This record gives sequence, structure tokens and C-alpha cells, in this order.
Amino acid sequence: MTEQPILEVKHLQHIYMKGTPLEHHALSGVSLKINKGECIAVIGHTGSGKSTLIQHVNGLMRPQSGEVVVDGMNLSDPKLDIRLLRRKVGLVFQNPEDQIFEKIIGDDIAYGPFKMGLPIKEVRDRVKWAMEVVGLSFDEMKDRATYALSGGQKRKVALAGVLALRPDILVLDEPTAGLDPRSRNELLEKLKTLNEQEKITIIFVSHNMEEVAYLAGRIYVLADGRNLVEGTPEEVFGEADTLKKHHIGAPDTVEILGQLKAKGFAVRPNAYQLEEAAKEIIAVLRQDGR
Amino acid sequence: MKKIAGFEFELTRNITIGQYVPTGSIIHRMDPRIKLASFTLLVISMAVCATYGGNLLALVLSCLLFYVSRIPISYGLSGVKPAIPFILILAILQLLFYSEVASGGKVLLNYGFIHITTDSIRLVVVSALRFVEIIFLSSVLTLSTSTTQITHGIESLLRPLRTVKFPVHEFALIITIALRFVPTFALEMEKMMKAQASRGAEFGTGAWWRIVQRTKDVFPIIIPLFNVAMSRAEDLVLAMESRCYVPGSQRSVSKKYKAYRTDYAALIFCIVFAIVLLAFPFPY
Repeated sequence: MTEQPILEVKHLQHIYMKGTPLEHHALSGVSLKINKGECIAVIGHTGSGKSTLIQHVNGLMRPQSGEVVVDGMNLSDPKLDIRLLRRKVGLVFQNPEDQIFEKIIGDDIAYGPFKMGLPIKEVRDRVKWAMEVVGLSFDEMKDRATYALSGGQKRKVALAGVLALRPDILVLDEPTAGLDPRSRNELLEKLKTLNEQEKITIIFVSHNMEEVAYLAGRIYVLADGRNLVEGTPEEVFGEADTLKKHHIGAPDTVEILGQLKAKGFAVRPNAYQLEEAAKEIIAVLRQDGR
Repeated sequence: MKKIAGFEFELTRNITIGQYVPTGSIIHRMDPRIKLASFTLLVISMAVCATYGGNLLALVLSCLLFYVSRIPISYGLSGVKPAIPFILILAILQLLFYSEVASGGKVLLNYGFIHITTDSIRLVVVSALRFVEIIFLSSVLTLSTSTTQITHGIESLLRPLRTVKFPVHEFALIITIALRFVPTFALEMEKMMKAQASRGAEFGTGAWWRIVQRTKDVFPIIIPLFNVAMSRAEDLVLAMESRCYVPGSQRSVSKKYKAYRTDYAALIFCIVFAIVLLAFPFPY
């Protein structure tokens, strides 16, 4: 029984500044197939087309060639109800805290739901839910001024602003870039909860392999606007040589195990989770001690 | 959103100011001071020339400049496109209400307050041509010259004004910064529009008479854009000061421009061309 994927991208191509001397091929044939409830990481070197790809999912860009289908809605269809699509897919940009424009936190989060034309009570419920999910207390924080917040808190507000649309798919472009380690870990935990408990499908772009290893159930690696490798973290990090060739790192755990293996120790080099890697290393140490 | 979307947010695509298209042509390699002086001469002569013949010649020259600089003429045309409504409105106004200024020539139509003479038609056609010529010229100039070169050119051309206490350097700096940040803010605005659009914002969809509503619609872009501009300005100030920029102090330039024989030849050509446009008795 094959399940209908919630997002399917087929041979998507995109050329910036088409027809000018500054023409730039951002995507030259990318395909994705993502099922409901998955947590997907899209990784790749700078300029590999990740940001262009995720803007297609939200209808900010339409396919120049190829196909994007979100939950049965084909983005090549000119009569597509784009507002419906954007409610289904919440897109969180890089540095989303820049987009906050209201003076009061609650108002800013309520902007999206108000634009959807929801009744005031529903808006209030959604703002409350979104704030609690990202870890901001509704009663305490809703009337605070936005400009006095720290960077990490601002990002939470911006994330809540998108979550308040109650999307089925949440797409994030480098969600933790520029955050301090504590806010980073908090945010990652929240995203994991969202994926596991609220059953929101998550697609995120990242340069940080530790967080990819922590969050992702499946990984797509892009290079020069094409699919390079895809699969579970074990599979992808097992191809360390291919990744290295395209200037993509692996998590520290995989790096260490890889070096141990190169020295002739019997370890599984793609045990990427922290505990597993630790077990592998302990096993090696035990053998040595014997 | 009626038209097939996909380009609605690509603002940078439509901005040709501050965009430099490096093709390495003769025009690109010209000394910026001489280039600016020559282009200024050409623009002034085109703005004054009022004959059909002269303007046709000028139009041919401005098209030729695209060819020589190896920049696709579509760039120039995309600069003309947004000006078309203005050209049209101007043409109609001139045709209807300028009969007193251009009252010479044969009377073609005389109905009520409308007097159309051969002279007023000439005025209409010539001003439309001028528009196109000058847009073409300035496009070639900005597309073939980097902003640093333009400001260096302006600075050294304006240097004589220093004797009357005109702040030449500061003026040039302001222009550099302004030009430099046009594409940056366009990108920033593009990003903001996309971010707010994915939160359900809509721009320019309300009826035009609901001015308050339409103004409110752009708040989610304008306010963050101001914030970003302010923090960029702060960063810029810090970066400049950390590199020892002191306003008003004597500065040297890292790159000295040197005019070659071809530059002088181009300048002489432009002078001759300007004289021809202004003084040659074109039959039409």
C-alpha cells in the first residue's frame, strides 16, 4: 500500500534572471517525495539551491519546469488557491525575527490568523497555542513589547507567528542560524515535539550536521541544483567521501568514527547518534583493554 | 493574484540602477571622468536639440552605444517600459495645451481651444524621442560603469567646486552609499514581502479608493524595512570608523585614473557630436 506523499517535487528547475546575461541556474532537476509526518533535512553547500527549492513549496515561486504537488494541489495550476496553499505550508525564513512589525508580541503572532479572517476567539486560541508550543507563556508574554526581546525570544515569536496559521507542513530555512547554544537546543527540542506530538511534517534546511543528526528522519543532499544523495542519516553519512567532495561536512560523531576506522579499528562509521557512537568507541576501548 | 505568479517578488530583476554588467568593452574601459563628461555633454545636447533630423541621429547614436558596449539593448528597453505612460501623458498634454508655446508652422487643426500645428507635433515627437535617448544613454552609463567609478568620476569632475567650499567628497560619498544600497534594500524588501506573504499578507489587491487599507497593507513591509535600514546604517558607520574613516579629513585614492588617447578621442567625438546636434541646420 503506497501512501500518497504530502509533498512531491519532480524534476524541478529554476533559472534566476532568465533571459539576461546574469542568468543563473539555481535548480536543474530536483526531485523530492515526502510523506505525512516525516521530518526531512535538506542539506547542501551554499548555492546548491536549497532556499530556492523551499520557496517553491509555499508558492512564492512557481515551477518554471517540472512539478510541485502539495497535498494534491499542483503549483503549476494558474487557478490554484494560493491562500489555501499558504495555510497548509508554513514557511519560516532565515532570520525570521526581522519580519516582526507589531509593537506587541501577541499582535504580531495574531497577524496571520487575522488575515485568514478567523473570529477573534479562534485567533486568541491559536495565538495561545502557538505561544505555548514554542515555550512562551501566553499570559506573561502576550502584552510585552517586541523590541525588548532577546534574539532567541524574537525567533520564537516569529516561529509562533507562522505556527498560528496551523500549517500541516512546516518549512524552515536554517532555523538555528545565529542563535546562542542554549536557544538553539531549546528550539530543536520544540521542533522535535512539534513533529512527534502535533504530527506536523517538518522540512528544514541546515548547515549544522549535529542538528541534522538530532532531528532528521530522512535527508536530501543537494549539490549544484541536483539531488546528490538521499536516505536515512545512516545511509547518507555512510557516503562520507561523496559528501566531502561537495564540501558538506558530517557530524563530529561520524568524523571521529571515520578516523578510527581509517586507523584500523572495527567501528561502524555511520553510527551518527551520540549514544551509538559512544557505544562504538567504548566497545573499541574494551577490546583494547583485553 | 491573477497572472501566473512566480516573478511577483523578483524585484531585483526590474532594477537596473546600480547594476553593473561587465563585458569589458571599450566603453567599460574608458576613464570614468572622461566618460561622465562625455555623457553629460551628449545628454545636454540631446535635451536642447529640437529638430527631427538631430534627434533621429541621436537615437541612432544611443542605440549604437549599446552595440559598442556589448550590453543587450533589452536592458535599455526595460528602462523605457515603465516610462511609457509618462511619455504618453506628456505627449497628450503637449499636443493639447502647448499650442501657444509652439504656435509656429502650419495650422493643422483648429477646434475650440485645441490648436494643433506642425510645430506642436514636432514638440511632441521630439520630446518622446528625447526621453528614449536619454534613458538609453544613462542606462549605458550605469550598466558599463561600476558605482565606485561613477563616484570617483563625479568627485574629480566636481573638484573645482571645492574653492567655493562645496563638500565635494561628502557629496560623492552620499551618492556612493545611496547607489550601493539600492539593490541591497530591494533584496531586503523582496525577502520581507515573501516572509509576510507566507503569513497571509496581500499587497495591492485592495480596491484603489481604499487608500487607508492599502497603506495599512504595506506596514508589515515598511516597518521591518526601516528597522533593517537603521541597523545596516549603524553597521556601516561602525565599519567605516573601525577602518579609520574621519569625515572631512584629507584622503588619497587607491586607484589613480589615467586618461589614454582613446579616451580623449571619445571626448572629442562627443564634443563634435554635440556641436553638430546644436548647430547643424537639419532640414527637418
